[in-house]
Amino acid sequence: MKKLAIYTLAAALCGSALYAVSAVDKAAEQAKEAAAAPAEAAAKEPLVCFESRKGASEITQKEVKPGLPNVKCSPTTGAALWYGDPYEGTVPMGKMPQMANLPEGQAVVRPRTEKLNLVAMCATACHNGVVPPGFPKHKKPVPIPTMEGMLPEVKDFQHGRGAIWCLDCHHATKRDKLVDHYGDPSISFDQPQLLCGKCHGDKLRDWRDGIHGKRIGEFASTGKKRWFTCTECHNPHNVQDGERNRGFAQLQPEPAPQLPKGMKDARHEKLHPIPH
Amino acid sequence: MTPNETPQACPAQEQPAGCPVPPASADPAACAPKTSRRDFLKAGGTLSLSSLMGAGALMAQSDDAHAAAEWAEHFQKNYRLMTDKEKDEARLRLEKRYSAEYGKKVTVDTTGPQPGVLMGYALNIRKCIGCRRCVHACVEENNQSRGKRPGEKIEWIQVLRMERGEFSKERMNQGYPEGLGIQVGGNAYTPAGQVLEGQYHYNPETVPEKDANYMPIACMQCEKPPCVKVCPVRTTYREGDGVVVIDYNWCIGCRMCMGACPYWARRFNVANPVLPKEEMNPVTHYLGNRPRMRGVVEKCHWCLQRSRHGRYPACVEVCPVGARKFGNLLDPNSEVSLVLARKNVFRLKAELNTFPKFFYFYD
Ligand code: SF4
Ligand code: SF4
Repeated sequence: MKKLAIYTLAAALCGSALYAVSAVDKAAEQAKEAAAAPAEAAAKEPLVCFESRKGASEITQKEVKPGLPNVKCSPTTGAALWYGDPYEGTVPMGKMPQMANLPEGQAVVRPRTEKLNLVAMCATACHNGVVPPGFPKHKKPVPIPTMEGMLPEVKDFQHGRGAIWCLDCHHATKRDKLVDHYGDPSISFDQPQLLCGKCHGDKLRDWRDGIHGKRIGEFASTGKKRWFTCTECHNPHNVQDGERNRGFAQLQPEPAPQLPKGMKDARHEKLHPIPH
Repeated sequence: MTPNETPQACPAQEQPAGCPVPPASADPAACAPKTSRRDFLKAGGTLSLSSLMGAGALMAQSDDAHAAAEWAEHFQKNYRLMTDKEKDEARLRLEKRYSAEYGKKVTVDTTGPQPGVLMGYALNIRKCIGCRRCVHACVEENNQSRGKRPGEKIEWIQVLRMERGEFSKERMNQGYPEGLGIQVGGNAYTPAGQVLEGQYHYNPETVPEKDANYMPIACMQCEKPPCVKVCPVRTTYREGDGVVVIDYNWCIGCRMCMGACPYWARRFNVANPVLPKEEMNPVTHYLGNRPRMRGVVEKCHWCLQRSRHGRYPACVEVCPVGARKFGNLLDPNSEVSLVLARKNVFRLKAELNTFPKFFYFYD
């Protein structure tokens, strides 16, 4: 326990720099959220809406042509509701094993590294390959207060149900990369499927074939599509979030349909319709 | 009757003043509007140069376009029987009218079915979280009425929330009748969703809820559509790529199709549709999302204005969990074909032999 405390102290020291960064980030995010909420304010502030899940990819509204926005956001939830331009801000997905039959440039993704740029700093600021004294020798998961402070959701870390921890996915020294278990070439945050698919092979197969996950653009099997990668929809830290354990975090629904004429509420729906 | 034998639509006695020569085509738009507008402009030019008159001229002109379009539409044929030229004329007429009405450049597409395409749709009901994003994306895309008063709000997709049956140990011994006599039923009376009893108006803080399943329902684009069978004016019909469409101009609003459709897919414009100018989607298709009028029926058409040009329908693109899959059933590598090949698939109310091309599946 003492050892851990020392480690924590060291980590906290180098972490303070990061705290500042994350605070700035948070403020920016709050400002964004504030902009998304009232529809009137949208005229000045750029409207930012989240795409699949909250906290992952976001998209800023702008005009592609006069009168045609790239995206429309929900005034209720701030979610992306309509895509005028499905390929905005995308880059080619890059070579994927067993997806070679896709024509060049037809598969694109929106890079996430920019949003996660905090991660690049981690490698230079703290996790620079120097093992601090008192670093535990075993590979068992231990709580790390610094990290928990920056990323509260890891307190509720569910992925693997206690069997795995940070370094099973995150690279120990290259903090802007994910682990590739076969040698050093590590995996970019834009291609998490290469890592996730190692355990979730059935899901990767379905995703490759287009029957798991989300794509937007042209529907033909050879058409140009923007592919959503694993972490754009699933939060890898608590994938099991949500009561229903469906791998997708709970979120606020869009408004309900109009009530039938003359009805004050929809209580009638809750009454059991089958007499018995 | 071949297209050439249709009655001349600008007969002499009904001819508006200022249509000097009986038109060669069946399209009164060729005579009535042009002449009268030209006359008007002439008059405006000679009579007055004041700005007041200018404003008056603008207003009168758009009114005129509107009236002309209506006049022409009155004699328009059933879309299925129109020649390409007539479709083009109808398209131009509508584009002009909508552009004036909504204050922006509106396009009305008349692209037909693409060869080798049979559209199909698959929805993963295990994934759906009931967030209703698809419902609202559809409204954004398809220019539905979105007013506040009764009947002014139209949504094509319905998301049905169904209770999960709970078969708890504590209740194992309960059932009808409670507390007395012989027990004739167990707690399997708890609804479990199979009978499509459920809620459309659910509105919890967050979805998915612990004890619910969600099932979005819209037009299934049946291969044997009962709605088409009952339509007395044959204005709703199946297109070559499998989509069941409506020519709104020929719809008489009898609502036979609404009664015939087993999937509650059709909506009726009881009121004048409310469609704010700035929210109107200017990319439209004649059989798809062009603005509708009061008294006609409308329904999902798999975003013809998009899908005929290769793009996914709007609902597919916004579903946050990727539950919605769309593709060409004739292409063995399309998403839908792969779902059909590999997943557990069912059609809603398959016993009715409507043969939907909308499939539900689960992992
Ligand atoms: S679902 Fe209803 S409206 Fe759609 S094709 Fe079938 S019968 Fe017609
Ligand atoms: S958008 Fe997707 S998850 Fe949400 S209700 Fe529609 S089908 Fe279900």
